Amino acid sequence: MCAVHIQDLVKTYGSRRVLDRVNLDVQEGEFYALMGPNGSGKTTLASIIAAVRMQDSGIVEVRGKSPEHAKEFIGYVPQENFSSPKLSGKENLAYFASLMGYSRNQANQLVVEMLENVGLSEEADKRVAKYSGGMRKRLEVATAIFPGIKVLILDEPTTGLDPAARRAFFSMIQEIMDRKTSIILITHIGSDAELASRVGLIDSGRMIAEGTPDELKRKHAVEDVITVETAAKTHSVLSLLKDFSINGRVGESEAGYKIYSQNGDRVLADVVRILDKAGHKVMRIEMARPTLEDVFFRLTERHLQEATE
Amino acid sequence: MRQISAAYIKAAKELIREKSALFWTIAWPIIWVLIGSFSFTGSAPQAVVPYIKGSIAISMMVFALMIAGMSNLPASIAGDRANGLLSKLISMPIQPYRDFLGRIFAVVTLSLLAAALVIVIGIAVGARFTGTGVEIPQAIGFVFLVICASAGVGLIAGTLIKNLQGAIMTGVGIAVITSAISGLFAPYEALPVPLQTFARVYPISSAQASIVHLLAGPDMVAYNPLTSSQVTLTIALSFALLVVGTVLYTRLGWKLE
Repeated sequence: MCAVHIQDLVKTYGSRRVLDRVNLDVQEGEFYALMGPNGSGKTTLASIIAAVRMQDSGIVEVRGKSPEHAKEFIGYVPQENFSSPKLSGKENLAYFASLMGYSRNQANQLVVEMLENVGLSEEADKRVAKYSGGMRKRLEVATAIFPGIKVLILDEPTTGLDPAARRAFFSMIQEIMDRKTSIILITHIGSDAELASRVGLIDSGRMIAEGTPDELKRKHAVEDVITVETAAKTHSVLSLLKDFSINGRVGESEAGYKIYSQNGDRVLADVVRILDKAGHKVMRIEMARPTLEDVFFRLTERHLQEATE
Repeated sequence: MRQISAAYIKAAKELIREKSALFWTIAWPIIWVLIGSFSFTGSAPQAVVPYIKGSIAISMMVFALMIAGMSNLPASIAGDRANGLLSKLISMPIQPYRDFLGRIFAVVTLSLLAAALVIVIGIAVGARFTGTGVEIPQAIGFVFLVICASAGVGLIAGTLIKNLQGAIMTGVGIAVITSAISGLFAPYEALPVPLQTFARVYPISSAQASIVHLLAGPDMVAYNPLTSSQVTLTIALSFALLVVGTVLYTRLGWKLE
């Protein structure tokens, strides 16, 4: 059974169609990232799956039921911080546990477990107003992973988090995945989406591509970029390097060359070997992997960040 | 029941921990009890001064109840909408009316706490009351009507005004303006005739006059608010405001679009 099944979903606000015949399936236990710029419809899509909004037409099912009838399986973490800053982390979680129908004793027991799961046991009695952005987001994820929750929807959870908080956040997500909970991550950050097992790219309300991060990069011919700097820039180096690139695409940079290849790992080793054999001293060589932002750019001719702005 | 209790505990803790809510609901009316008791009783005969003070304490108690319902309640609703809690709640298996009951009970708790403190301070500075026996439960009944009417107005403001500051200021504005023009802050007999009519129709000022009549004596009120028609009107309008507020909140308050 699909954890989430969406077919021909359409949603309009006034005369503006924000979701246009969207199709999407998320399997049980899958970590799915939905990536797109602001205004692409991804938050609307998340809110429809979470039963917060209704679609105009199309089918939306969570574990075979309409979202309205599957709320007990859905854990939703909206983009805005919704935990109460006037309550402690423990009080916030106890509130949500009681709303889920747990008795006071059960709730208290669960709260201890959940706080431990999200690494906030030591901050349990501190008011949320004193939490950092990352701590607050982890607490809010805890409100959405009570026992019985099968689909966790995270809307832009890492926005505003520093790199350390972001790392801590995703290691917590990894632990949640181990429980076979399906995760839908809404994001405009390519490096966040890279962590998912499958990624859907959405733009102007339409799904423009879907696949694993590697599939997307391969399918849309986005290359690794290898930068080489040799002791001297000569035509012979350039012609040697052209054999390794896609359709002879070797760019010249200020201090050296850029090789575009879909198989960077192999090319990197070969380039070092060939240049050495030809007597050209390699001063610097490095490889940049393509990102999902590059895939988005290839498909839309727009940079994700520009589109987001 | 667990969901109502969860919403109640959350809202009550938030209200108690919000300094501005405590100031406007408890400290501000108490300040006016103190000012009123020492400033506005100088020319009155000594024998009636304690009852004038009692009347002032009752007016300020009613004002405290108004602020709790008309400002704190919409602040709680609009605040939760603004910070995304509403989206979260809609995604959870919870009925809007349970959240509504939790919030209302929290406001009632704060209202009763404020009312008790205002009356205690009033008594401490010399307020005296004539009411005995059946008049006390009757007065408590009117206190609940004030809470109902104020909460009704608060629910309407919190539902219709999406902006947090807008909801708070609208509530405070309604409380202050209607208090000023309905005889809560000024003697009924000093009001122009149209406002005297308003004071009789407005359920909160009418309930306040009834409480003063019951607890501080009929001499402290310029008209009899306890006629059957007047009491019926007060009860009907108080509940009407609460029902309208409840219907709006449960139907529209939980809609994002």
